[in-house]
Amino acid sequence: MSKRFVVSIVAVIAAGMFSPLLRAQDEKWNNIPPTRAAYRDKKPSGVPPRRDITGIWDTAQALGTSGAPEHPALGPGGRGSQGGQQDETGIEKPLPYTAAGLAALKKNLPSGPGVRQVDSVLTNDPAGKCDPLGFPYMFSWEFRTINVVQTAKQVIMLSPFYGNYRVIWTDGRQPPKDPDLRYNGYSVGTWMDDYTFVVRTTGMLPKTWLDHAGRPHSDQLVVDETFHRVSADTIEYTQKITDPVMYTEPWIATNKLPVHLMPPDFDIPELQCSPSEFAEYNNQVGGVVLRDSSKK
Amino acid sequence: MANKVGIVAVMAGVAAFAVPLFAHHGAASYDTSKTVTVAGTVTEYVWSNPHVLVKVDAKDASGNVAHWVCEAWNPVTQTGRGWTKNTFKAGDEVSLEINPAKNGASVGEIRGRIVINGTEFKQTP
Repeated sequence: MSKRFVVSIVAVIAAGMFSPLLRAQDEKWNNIPPTRAAYRDKKPSGVPPRRDITGIWDTAQALGTSGAPEHPALGPGGRGSQGGQQDETGIEKPLPYTAAGLAALKKNLPSGPGVRQVDSVLTNDPAGKCDPLGFPYMFSWEFRTINVVQTAKQVIMLSPFYGNYRVIWTDGRQPPKDPDLRYNGYSVGTWMDDYTFVVRTTGMLPKTWLDHAGRPHSDQLVVDETFHRVSADTIEYTQKITDPVMYTEPWIATNKLPVHLMPPDFDIPELQCSPSEFAEYNNQVGGVVLRDSSKK
Repeated sequence: MANKVGIVAVMAGVAAFAVPLFAHHGAASYDTSKTVTVAGTVTEYVWSNPHVLVKVDAKDASGNVAHWVCEAWNPVTQTGRGWTKNTFKAGDEVSLEINPAKNGASVGEIRGRIVINGTEFKQTP
């Protein structure tokens, strides 16, 4: 077998793996990132720049539709996705709720696949009304693709999904002591070493959810994140939740999630939440398929 | 073979997906233990958030027309699966495998084989 033939075969296989990306590069707009399968045998590579996470980054569709990636509201083997429960009894990796946390959980009615799923028109998910997701919900569900910009004093993260953005201050300031609560809270970031950026966020509005499974939080919530740039093309993202009002101990929501660098001319598609589009969807689908019409 | 009037039947199948691979919002309303094939004529293709819709008029054996609404995910996710805003158009003869609504409404979630004008449409895995 000639070397040229082998190279050709490898090229064809590689083109197949990254075909959505290649298609996107041809068209320049609304680029679609590769799926997880494209990274299956690919190791992180390249020497990363120091203290720099600028660029367009993608999670390869690691979408937390059943809740925080490390604690999906599902039983072993993904069982229970059709809902029907008030609490999370039987899920594979239960959360350490306090009594207040469990009571708050039961008030939140999620529409994503999970043991507590309800019909889509019955959900009180902020996302179902196109209310702001806030943080950390925007990073625990539909994380997708983000554009990271660094200035001398800030790291800015832009996500076309639901029009979210975050500002992380890197000028040495401390979190506010008595914050006026905000959807995205108050984020401060520091470099632990040349390749590890850590962020602490406080002051989030408790009416927002932690994730798509309706996990609650209080105004005491502290979210600690680590962006570990393990190579030029990969960041490992970790997110820790601490909220003594709702949870008896801190827990990891996302653990070393690989986030992949996209080409610099990658155009992220728009995915906005439109109240009028949601109303039309519920009129044509959500309300029509309601299992018990007496609840509508 | 489909003719141009809009045709065919609705055939019930069984239990192809014990654990939904692509369940999303409101999937609780669908019977994931059943696969139904909706075959007929596209009346409208809605390429929009929150979910893409394919509306199909399907005739049963008696000639009665049922107006089906078949939903997929959002346009970004569907683009990743190879769909575009031009994948369907009004007048196309289609056959769609769906999970039907539990309450018997003519609504379903597209979950399997897709045939458009006699050609199978292969989604990106």
